[in-house]
Amino acid sequence: MKKGKIVMTITIGIVCFLLTMIIFMQFKVVRETEETNIDTMQEAELRQELANWKSKYDETKERYDEISATLESYKEETSSDSQTKETLEAELENLELQLGKTDVEGEGVVITLSEKSEQELEEEEQIISIKAEDLVYIVNYLKDSGAEAISINDERIVNTTDIADVGDAIKINSKYLRTDTYTIKAIGNSSYLESSIFGKGGYAEQLSTTGIKTEIEKLDKVEISKYDGEFEIKYIEEAE
Amino acid sequence: MVFIAILIGCILGAIVGINVPTISYSYSSYLAIAIVAALDSVFGGITGVLKREFDFKIFISGFFCNSILSILLTYLGNKLDVDIYLAAIVVFVGRMFLNLTIIRKYYIDKWSKKYQEYKDRRKTTEKQNL
Repeated sequence: MKKGKIVMTITIGIVCFLLTMIIFMQFKVVRETEETNIDTMQEAELRQELANWKSKYDETKERYDEISATLESYKEETSSDSQTKETLEAELENLELQLGKTDVEGEGVVITLSEKSEQELEEEEQIISIKAEDLVYIVNYLKDSGAEAISINDERIVNTTDIADVGDAIKINSKYLRTDTYTIKAIGNSSYLESSIFGKGGYAEQLSTTGIKTEIEKLDKVEISKYDGEFEIKYIEEAE
Repeated sequence: MVFIAILIGCILGAIVGINVPTISYSYSSYLAIAIVAALDSVFGGITGVLKREFDFKIFISGFFCNSILSILLTYLGNKLDVDIYLAAIVVFVGRMFLNLTIIRKYYIDKWSKKYQEYKDRRKTTEKQNL
């Protein structure tokens, strides 16, 4: 046999080998990819699918960004809100303190007014029961000397408080007091408060001539309870 | 001798091809186009043998170059997003049909000639017998 013929035979054998090998490999690949789902999809389909998912992802991400931005702004608002809330609360507390809506305590005086018994009366004196007028005077004097909170028999004096004679009773904060002893509590500088009423020629002196006994007690801590009623506003409005 | 080589090559190729690990699906289109190109070369070779103008060098170079070129064209097509492999398949399969036609015609001619000769011979023998 010629040398060229042997080479040709071997080469043809190799060619056949390669061809059948590749063909069987391809058969195998095709058979196996038919079994699983995603692998059998054409590349174009996969690309389409991927693009769909990507656009969905982009959309969702955009929405997420938006929502997180709003969330962020809400958070900022709430923090600023809580700040305003705090200042408002402080203001409210201060206002309530001034209005008399809270129990308060502090340095002050306790003044007791009572009618003298007959034995205590001196010659020229005569028994006159305590009038609302007396209480108004005392309250005014106390306010004049800087009282920050006043109560009469635990009725807090606020800016709507009325003190008036109704029959034989005294009406304070729409409550009728029928008693011959009045305890007036006031918070403020106790020396000023004392001198405003018990000073020389003060109102206490005047009262004692009408048979009313006044006593004062200076205390480091006077407790005054809050105003129980409501502040109703019907007619007033803020002017423009 | 050549047929033994072809047989051994085919059997070995089938065994190796079945036992080789699976290649990735994305490369299978390249393999398919290479197979088509190789088959085209094979049919071309057979046609060449029948026409008595078979050149071994041309056959081998065609076998490998066509396969590799078709793979490269498919790759390029993928990159360009144009299905160039379709064009390659059209060309290769078209040529395969042409070659098959030539082979068919050759054998039909051959067999009809033989049949004619057989008929003629029978006629002559019949005449002689008469």
